Amino acid sequence: MAPHSNGTSPHWSLKSGVHQQGCPELQVLLGITGKDFTLIAASKAAMRGATILKAADDKTRQLNKNTLMAFSGEAGDTVQFAEYIQANAQLYSMRNETDLSPSALANFVRGELASSLRSRKPYNVNLLLGGVDPITDKPSLYWLDYLASLAPVPYAAHGYAQYYCLSILDKHHQPDITLERGMELLNLCADELKRRLPIDFKGLVVKAVTKDGTVEMPFDNDRIVKSA
Amino acid sequence: MVGKDCVAIACDLRLGLQALTVSNNFPKIFQYGDQVFLGLTGLATDVSTVSDLFRYKVNMYRLREERHIAPRTFANLVSSSLYERRFGPYFVSPVVAGLEPKTGQPFICGFDSIGCIDFAKDFIVSGTATEQLFGMCESLWEPDMGPDALFETISQALLNAVDRDALSGWGAHVYIVEKDKVTKRLLKGRQD
Amino acid sequence: MSRRYDSRTTIFSPDGRLYQVEYALEAISHAGTAIGILAKDGIVLAAERKVTSKLLEQDTSAEKLYILNDNMICAVAGMTADANILINYARQAAQRYLLTYNEDIPCEQLVRRLCDLKQGYTQHGGLRPFGVSFIYAGWDPQRQFQLYLSNPSGNYGGWKATSSGANHASAQSLLKQDYKEDCTLKEACGMAVKVLSKTMDSTKLSSEKIEFATVGQTKDGKIYHKLWSAEEINQLLKEHDLAKDETAEEK
Repeated sequence: MAPHSNGTSPHWSLKSGVHQQGCPELQVLLGITGKDFTLIAASKAAMRGATILKAADDKTRQLNKNTLMAFSGEAGDTVQFAEYIQANAQLYSMRNETDLSPSALANFVRGELASSLRSRKPYNVNLLLGGVDPITDKPSLYWLDYLASLAPVPYAAHGYAQYYCLSILDKHHQPDITLERGMELLNLCADELKRRLPIDFKGLVVKAVTKDGTVEMPFDNDRIVKSA
Repeated sequence: MVGKDCVAIACDLRLGLQALTVSNNFPKIFQYGDQVFLGLTGLATDVSTVSDLFRYKVNMYRLREERHIAPRTFANLVSSSLYERRFGPYFVSPVVAGLEPKTGQPFICGFDSIGCIDFAKDFIVSGTATEQLFGMCESLWEPDMGPDALFETISQALLNAVDRDALSGWGAHVYIVEKDKVTKRLLKGRQD
Repeated sequence: MSRRYDSRTTIFSPDGRLYQVEYALEAISHAGTAIGILAKDGIVLAAERKVTSKLLEQDTSAEKLYILNDNMICAVAGMTADANILINYARQAAQRYLLTYNEDIPCEQLVRRLCDLKQGYTQHGGLRPFGVSFIYAGWDPQRQFQLYLSNPSGNYGGWKATSSGANHASAQSLLKQDYKEDCTLKEACGMAVKVLSKTMDSTKLSSEKIEFATVGQTKDGKIYHKLWSAEEINQLLKEHDLAKDETAEEK
């Protein structure tokens, strides 16, 4: 079950001369918790250098019924790592006939990322992990970066989006907001990102986790915002 | 920080990436027994890794020995565990504070990232605000303070030191450890 | 005839039995009795201590009751030396789970980890099975209080009240008679000493001969487990009028 081979294979070193593909900082990940839900949003653009390869990319993976993970970072690492975690979460659910809680999964992911950090070729992946606890029904959101720093937070972002969105959320977020209000806050954030980010991130995929599971939320990505 | 038959240990709550604050609820003090505490500053990932690792080791010690670990024993465990990673260290500078179980005497010490112990009779500081903390503690600390005076001293030292440091602050946890009681207080502090 | 299928644990006898496993079960039925009773607000474990002597240090740790984890304890029936190996294994498994997931291991998972290890010794080469049965008492957020019994074959099951060791058949039928659904922890403790007093050889009980432990919940919802002190056991025995007459001379 090794996440990736640390053997003598030299394949990765071929890549080391190449510049990092797509700028991970320009990928948008957002997360907001509320009264009984966690919202996760991720930008739809898949980039490589200055090119947008795909405009409907989904940077999220469902780990189990009540936990969703969004990821950004180096192309290749991201999906590989996310699906490795997804497989482990699903294996646990099959073996034990019960799902891991979001908190347990966040700590599991942190452990995997932390051991990867001190390996020969660490994963370069930033994550948001959102979910609703299957027993207490409490929503939660975890912020993880590629160094495997883990923090439980009421709202979070990754990449350049942090600089624009965290201050908006600092001002407008309350712990007991409704799903509708959560979507309004996401619109505020998306508008600001469109206004300030130098590239088109092709809009957001938005998913909501509640005690009943995960649903994709309709999100209007065609709103025109006036530039500052 | 040492008082008369009591010790105090305190930390700020900020988690940040250089100038960007990610979380203002990231405690850095961990309890490993009735009267043994560990404070960890440094790289956030290693703060979590190291604190979890010691929880594993101390829990196994307690189950095996059927008693709580003593602060001096724990300090040596910290030292040897960090030195195991001599050539690829955890980027943390720990602080241990506690009361000796038999005598009730205060015990504090600090470490570098590879486990060299620094014993002290007065106070130990660590983290980004080290310089500021040294100044505050040197001027405020005096011997044989009671628990209340100790709480006031350590809190003032911490809050005023982190206010002069851009990279720390955002609230604090303060523990006062006495013979038969541990008091944990949350200081709100400046949130800017 | 049976000799031909005894020497290795890995071989079935012609009538489909694993003799070494059955011998292990036999060994356990000579050991001190252990019983566990599930109440609505906790669990009690009680065990008979076989080795009693005036010369034995009384303040040393429990012989048959062990803490596995912050939310789980177990009673041992069988060979204590074998049990020590398994208990250390269980403690490490529990702590490793805590390290990985930052949550206590669910009770059934810990039981299953131990049973997988035990099962290995009924199948793989040349070694004898562990000569111990465990009764586990624990709590987890999903299934609250739980009681399990496992034996050398690696089988386990959840119970409302169960027993193991010497006289476990009669203990079991006593428990079946006396068990009340929704009994409190206090009633369960009473039931435990009564059953023990009937199944043990000696007529009168004392704190030297039995060990007692409970898992319960404090008023603020915290789970605790407690190994009882000699005074507490004596107090309980007195309440149920089962204590040994204190003036009587010990043999």
